[in-house]
Amino acid sequence: MSEKTSGERAEAAACDLLRDCGYEIVARNWRTRRGEIDIVARDGPVLAMVEVKARSGQAYGRPEEAVDRAKQRRIVAATRAFLAATGCSLAVRFDVVTFLDGAPRLFRDAFQAGDECSHDS
Amino acid sequence: MGIDALRIEVQCDVSGGLPLFHVVGLPEKEVSESRERIRSAIKNSGLQFPAGRITANLAPADVRKEGVGFDLPIAVAILVASGQIPPLDEDLCLVGELALDGEVRGVRGVLPIAAEAASAGMIVPLANAVEAAVGSQGPVYPVRSLDEARRFLCREIEIAPFAVDCDELMRECTEDIRHDMAEVRGQMQAKRAIEVAAAGGHNLLMIGPPGSGKSLMARCLPEILPPMSFDEALEVTRIYSIAGLLDGPSLVGRRPFRAPHQTISYAGMVGGGHGVPGPGEISLAHHGVLFLDELPEFDRRVLETLRQPLEDRTVLLSRAGVSVRYPSSFTLIAAMNPCPCGYLGDALKPCVCSLVDVRRYRKRLSGPFLDRIDLFVEVPRLSVEDLFHARPADGSDAIRRRVSDARRRQWDRLASEQDCHSNAQLDGEALERHCPLEEDASLLLQRAVARFALSARAHVRILRVARTIADLDGTDDLSAAHVAEAIRYRTAGESLGEH
Repeated sequence: MSEKTSGERAEAAACDLLRDCGYEIVARNWRTRRGEIDIVARDGPVLAMVEVKARSGQAYGRPEEAVDRAKQRRIVAATRAFLAATGCSLAVRFDVVTFLDGAPRLFRDAFQAGDECSHDS
Repeated sequence: MGIDALRIEVQCDVSGGLPLFHVVGLPEKEVSESRERIRSAIKNSGLQFPAGRITANLAPADVRKEGVGFDLPIAVAILVASGQIPPLDEDLCLVGELALDGEVRGVRGVLPIAAEAASAGMIVPLANAVEAAVGSQGPVYPVRSLDEARRFLCREIEIAPFAVDCDELMRECTEDIRHDMAEVRGQMQAKRAIEVAAAGGHNLLMIGPPGSGKSLMARCLPEILPPMSFDEALEVTRIYSIAGLLDGPSLVGRRPFRAPHQTISYAGMVGGGHGVPGPGEISLAHHGVLFLDELPEFDRRVLETLRQPLEDRTVLLSRAGVSVRYPSSFTLIAAMNPCPCGYLGDALKPCVCSLVDVRRYRKRLSGPFLDRIDLFVEVPRLSVEDLFHARPADGSDAIRRRVSDARRRQWDRLASEQDCHSNAQLDGEALERHCPLEEDASLLLQRAVARFALSARAHVRILRVARTIADLDGTDDLSAAHVAEAIRYRTAGESLGEH
């Protein structure tokens, strides 16, 4: 196995976590010029766009706090591109998976498109 | 709008795509903000907030929506749209604010909404249950939380319709007398004027030095008025419900007594405020008494705005996009000192004001405003005898009986007149018809008009007041004594008009 960054390791762990939760992984690291989606997964009738954040220690705040408004905007932009590219018309939800010192946590419906104040941003 | 509610239909659509939650249909800020409360409340009630694009529409879409009462209906609409609640009866009415944990909180203005609710019933916050039951024709289902509402609508639980005994409520809020006329020492003439004001719905101005009992007598007035009918109480309660002043008892059964401070703004007096204008003091005093102490200290502009409501007994507030009408049928009782220091004309204490001061003080009241006052009475300082050896006077109970009798005579006589329920509202031809003067009374009136150079309007006021005095006396014809008393109430105010 080749050398992996902590981010890639976290994303792989997140995929395992999501599968355990009944998600079906559709795509990973879906990129456009404007932003990136870490994991695209089916959760029943809903398409979940999952952002993964890992942190060791809270010296710079909790990992979920790092998904701030700018980050949310990038994810939303990428999602628009994804929906346009795939022609998918499913209901979309934004989830966040965090690892704090390796401990995972899944935030379902973490934020909404065009939200200004929800989530800890 | 105003004291009438407008049915708003809440529609909700959930579709695929990016998760977005819109509320459309001219929502004000607090309605738009409801999105965050609704989302949290649904999640924290253990329910699913649906993914995808959600649009909630408040129809008709061209009326501005304000207030937090839309939280519960929008949340329920979302739950229906996402299949968590079966489709509802379209006539069911819901109102309530949501807390983040899913608790349903009480809101303002439930009574008018209840009056508009169809027989299909309504779901209201527990805190508003009594209020809703008073006004509603259909069953009222109180709920504590969003989940309780959901389980009720899914027929998982039963909620017993909330019922109140309106007669019992009325009895509760009219029982004790708080201020008794018997407590006021002396001042027989002023008390009589108050009684006349109560009997005919006349506006009254008391002029006298500080500490002569003006405020206390004014406070007694609501209690000597005949008790409100249930319909009147309901109308007053509506206004208090809209103003959010309905804490404790859910029915205002006692005639209101409003005594705003002299610094009151024009919006506070006639109504106004952000968004849809709310009721002001003149509407909160509906069917009751508006007491303006230290009348000349009020902003003149504020007093001038009273002129139209005093005439029309209703006030129309127009703002960009909305205009609302509130009833404002009140009896105005005003009090003032004779001069800035308060002792002009006092037998013992010298007045220290210059003539210019006095003139300036009185000039703050405009002629047109004073024209709307029927009764003027001087309230002199109490003498030592009055203070310490007061003869026992009639209590509020006895006075109220006399007032009620006089009012009944008026109602019987005015039953055929339109929009005229008291002598104070008599006008024009009807006034002539209902005030048959005895011969010497007519003569006396003519002489008084000539001697005091009374205007036509003053003449009308005297007739109205004389009519009420005769009603208190229990006679149909106006005698010289009735007219003489009415003239006395007029001439006390004539000096105010001379600027």
